[in-house]
Amino acid sequence: MSPIHRAPAGLKLGASLAFLGALAALPARCSLWSLWAVPPLCLLTALAGLEFRGLLKRSALAAPFLLGVASLSLFETHGWKTSLGLLAKAVVSLFTLQILASTTPVSELLRTLRRAHVPEVLCGAIGLLSRYSSLLVDEAQRMRRARAGRTLRGSRWHWWRVLGNSLGVLFVRTVSRAERVQLAMRSRGGA
Amino acid sequence: MHIPDGFLSARVALGYGALSAVGVGAACYRLRAQRERGGSALLGVCAAFVFAAQMVNFPIAAGTSGHLVGSALAAALLGLPGALIAMTAVLVLQCFVFADGGVFALGANVFNMGLVSCTVGYCCYRLSCGSSPSPTRRVASVAFAGWCATIAGAASCAGQLSLSGAAPLPIVLPAMLGVHALIGIGEAVISALVVASILRLRPELLEGGADLESRGAASAVYAGLGLALSVAALLAPLGYAAPDGFSRVAAALGLQPSARPPMLAPFLTHGIPGVVSGVLATVLVGCIGTLLLFGSCWLLALVLLPSRRRSTDPDASPVAVESSG
Repeated sequence: MSPIHRAPAGLKLGASLAFLGALAALPARCSLWSLWAVPPLCLLTALAGLEFRGLLKRSALAAPFLLGVASLSLFETHGWKTSLGLLAKAVVSLFTLQILASTTPVSELLRTLRRAHVPEVLCGAIGLLSRYSSLLVDEAQRMRRARAGRTLRGSRWHWWRVLGNSLGVLFVRTVSRAERVQLAMRSRGGA
Repeated sequence: MHIPDGFLSARVALGYGALSAVGVGAACYRLRAQRERGGSALLGVCAAFVFAAQMVNFPIAAGTSGHLVGSALAAALLGLPGALIAMTAVLVLQCFVFADGGVFALGANVFNMGLVSCTVGYCCYRLSCGSSPSPTRRVASVAFAGWCATIAGAASCAGQLSLSGAAPLPIVLPAMLGVHALIGIGEAVISALVVASILRLRPELLEGGADLESRGAASAVYAGLGLALSVAALLAPLGYAAPDGFSRVAAALGLQPSARPPMLAPFLTHGIPGVVSGVLATVLVGCIGTLLLFGSCWLLALVLLPSRRRSTDPDASPVAVESSG
């Protein structure tokens, strides 16, 4: 546990929001200045004991959207300046967000959101979602493995049909699980 | 479609954040009554289902792949407020845990994939479904709703990008719509197949919330009006800043002499007398114009569809059904 991990979630959230807001408010012609934030962010990463490779790997998920939109702005006059600036801003923001995400657990985040008077319906949904998402993703992967084991050969249409079918089965199982969870919560005096 | 931070200007991000906060707050308010009858767990666990379904990648043209957004599917399964809350929860979790989509751009992302996609998906689904749909019609309308929701979300995303000056609208709009027209086909096929298999396994799940849907048409109209107003309010300053787009289209259509809307034009150029001028006046004029347009469409619908109105009258409908049966 580094000092960054132990810092209160509200502080981290507020600081990142303020930084990202300032970054967004930066005028377009000086957006390359945002690159000055890279050394402090690297320092933060080192302090938190995070791996650069992991951060980079997870940031690569956003690369298609980033490059796509940045290449679209090439069509404007002085487009390459705009697109370089956009890329710099986006990469710095992504870096900040990655540090925030990997040092703040969901439970801390939820506590902060509740303190900020976010409606309980939404907070409850986020809490249940964070608890059950890994379970459901596991179940989906198990179903996919079983499907691959049973299917010897199939056409493309067959692939689509089986995919839709297994998602439907997943939904039905999800609903019956939710009913059981609801029953269990209520029998223990919950909502 | 998840917009990362850095692409949206502060004004756009804050504006759409406020709009999304209003929409999500309204959905929470609607759900509070429903929640007292049980079903709080259903929402969270269904949000987890949407999350898991978004993990499914399907191939589209030229080696790229898209993934399910699931807002139309959620709208068909959970109803409009439930779908909105589930999508918001999924987006918040993706943003804070996987850094997918920005924190500062969260409002804009909730607007695109939650408010716009769910509302459009829900309206398309309800309107094409009718009151007592056959299974085939239900599956077909889910597919239609899925495609429309994807396209609508992409259009709204393109609008936000061009409003923040990231890319010009004539380029970003066709690009986004072109890619998402293909992704939307995948979304439509998967949503339809999912609904078909739910219909086979537990059809009563799709009837859920039927008692809530009696007011569905009216609330869909109000949601559409709110959406149109907000788009007008946010897009009007763009027209104010870059009027040459309109005049170019007008010139191409040969409408040069009266290129401006005659009634509202003096307000647009000079501000509303005694109120404000500049951007705020443009926003106000945009809203007033939308309201006028909505009112005239409403009047036209009332005049043109008298029989429809009579049949929804609660006293008259049993007689009509009996006589037709």
